[in-house]
Amino acid sequence: MRQAISDTRNSLLLRLSDKHDIAAWDQFVAIYQPLVFRLARSKGFQEADAHDIVQEVLLAVSKAIHRWEPNPARGRFRDWLFRIARNLMINFLTRRKHQSLVGSECIAELIDLQPAATEPDPDVTREFELEYRRERFWLAADKVRQQVKPHTWDAFRLTAIEEYSVAEAARELDMKEGSVVVARCRVLARLRTAVAELEGQPDEEHGK
Amino acid sequence: MNNSDSHVTDGQLRVLMYEQEDSVESVEIARHVETCETCQARLTDLSSDSQIELEASHLFSGYEPAVRGVSPGSGIPSNAAMQSEVEFDKGLLGPPTHPEMLGRIGRYEIERRIGSGGMGVVFKAIDTELNRPVAVKILAPHLSRNGAARQRFSRESRAAAAVVHEHVVAIHNVEANAEHPYLVMQYVSGESLQSRVDRTGPMSVEQILRIGVQAARGLAAAHLQGIVHRDIKPANILLEDGVERLLITDFGLARTVDDASLTHTGVVAGTPAYMSPEQASGDAVDHRCDLFSLGSVLYFVATGHPPFRAERAMGVLHRICHHRHRPLWQVNSNVPDELSAVIDRLLEKRPSKRFTSASTVADVMAHILQSLQNRRPSLMMGLRSWQRRHRLVSWMAAAVLLVVAGLAAKSLPNLERNDRSTASTTATDTQVSTMGPLTGSQSTAPQNSNAVAFTDADDRSAFDERLTEIANSLQVLEVRHDSNPSDPFQEFQLELRSLEQSLHQIDPTNNP
Repeated sequence: MRQAISDTRNSLLLRLSDKHDIAAWDQFVAIYQPLVFRLARSKGFQEADAHDIVQEVLLAVSKAIHRWEPNPARGRFRDWLFRIARNLMINFLTRRKHQSLVGSECIAELIDLQPAATEPDPDVTREFELEYRRERFWLAADKVRQQVKPHTWDAFRLTAIEEYSVAEAARELDMKEGSVVVARCRVLARLRTAVAELEGQPDEEHGK
Repeated sequence: MNNSDSHVTDGQLRVLMYEQEDSVESVEIARHVETCETCQARLTDLSSDSQIELEASHLFSGYEPAVRGVSPGSGIPSNAAMQSEVEFDKGLLGPPTHPEMLGRIGRYEIERRIGSGGMGVVFKAIDTELNRPVAVKILAPHLSRNGAARQRFSRESRAAAAVVHEHVVAIHNVEANAEHPYLVMQYVSGESLQSRVDRTGPMSVEQILRIGVQAARGLAAAHLQGIVHRDIKPANILLEDGVERLLITDFGLARTVDDASLTHTGVVAGTPAYMSPEQASGDAVDHRCDLFSLGSVLYFVATGHPPFRAERAMGVLHRICHHRHRPLWQVNSNVPDELSAVIDRLLEKRPSKRFTSASTVADVMAHILQSLQNRRPSLMMGLRSWQRRHRLVSWMAAAVLLVVAGLAAKSLPNLERNDRSTASTTATDTQVSTMGPLTGSQSTAPQNSNAVAFTDADDRSAFDERLTEIANSLQVLEVRHDSNPSDPFQEFQLELRSLEQSLHQIDPTNNP
């Protein structure tokens, strides 16, 4: 059993010669895997079914990559990839909203539909966009949290999320107020960079 | 360090934000900034914008770092986790009822671990109800936690259980609802084709053909049920101890692993050496995918290495898709052209150019095996190697050759009389084509026999039959002579002469 293999990524590597495109795929999987799972769970799917939906979505998108041909007019692979994935998900969620949750239509089919085919529900679109941004942000947070010291992260968490004042956070963490400010800035700066990376944007020379 | 003259530069602020927190430079810069409100304001400006602040305050709800753990590959057990096999196994198994046993799962008493891989661990076990040895394959924890892999495992192994064939490892039972799903299979005492070839090197032409025929028959049985193996490789082909029997294992299970590993981007366990081009490029696969892999396996058996090799897995995939393999006969000169051609056809990049079915492959290879056995001691080609081995009787062989030559000479005037454009087809061609029917041909009758010498098709097939008989007799004679070298030489000579006469009798040019 030496040769058990994940062939999808490899076949993509063959198809996509550009390393930026490979990175785009990896980012896509990193964002969509938990995102689709979460969305499916929030729609009332059992855990196992939600896992299945994740697999189906990723497979459907990976199959659609056959249709990708580098062409300056079509823009970057990454944009195209995230666009078809987004359309797929919005179509999927729109249909789910109007149909019963039983029975599963072919997800691969949905990918071919233009967003206009089933008029995308603005609520659905907004919800998807929000969840997408949340997922992206969480991923970035996961990354940054591993880069900094625990008290640095805590200083950020208290001031940026839990709405502590700098003074309160400093007292809570037994840090100098100046250190809390520096810590918070450190994390924010890194978060911004990490989100930009997940968006496939060139690393803007660390900030401005 | 609290006067405005020594404010840090923007560059230093970036170092502060992005470099290691405890680097000397960072610590030095932090010392100033922490006490300088001006620099703190500048740092705040540099580090964030309204967008990220908004996201931080709005999107963080529900964020649970400890629970999420989404880093790629997190589902794969780490080396450390696998280090203690025994501990790992105990996690899968219940406590044994017998002190010499490793553990227990369902009604199966686990004896020992016989293998492990990406999909799970295989144990030898005793079925306590039927009191027979079985092999129990337990789905790996990272797969049993994955809903899709779990479902696939149960679906595929149930389908595979429907395949009953002497060359397919039988599946006795599937327990899909256990905490760690498992399947119970026929226990095969023996070794895999991989370890056999690793141990004893490339195999003989006959062995290759026997393996090819058996494996193709097993595949045909599964394909008939609509089951594609998808992971045919030497490690999945078992050779039973003592008997020349081969069994294919792990039907349909490859997809269980695929399901789970799809999301673990970048996980490449081992080498994809036996994958088909359509698999390597992520296209849809059908039964012909298994035919390609079978070609690679036979190539491995004949040479000791797979047809597509490279340093890294990616290189292998690339070669599978874009490079032609080196023809088998070039690597192993013992391999006859017919076998080499069969493998070439199995290794066609385009499925439509391969054989249409596994049963055709089995038939073709059985045919080659048969004709190879007939040919060896018989006329033309076989004689050459025969001569080499039997110097003593090589002159006899020469005599037989003369007969053949005579046949040819006599048939030539016939050809001229009939003024046929097939004149180049001599009697010797007839022999060759009789002995070595090409791949795919169903009948043993030569396709290009010198039809002109025969008045009708019946005569021709009668001739072919007789010729085959004579060839067989010659083989029997050789085997007897081989096994009993003290046999009186005269007797051998007499029998050869009688065969020579038979050849004369069937020569169509002798009967006006």
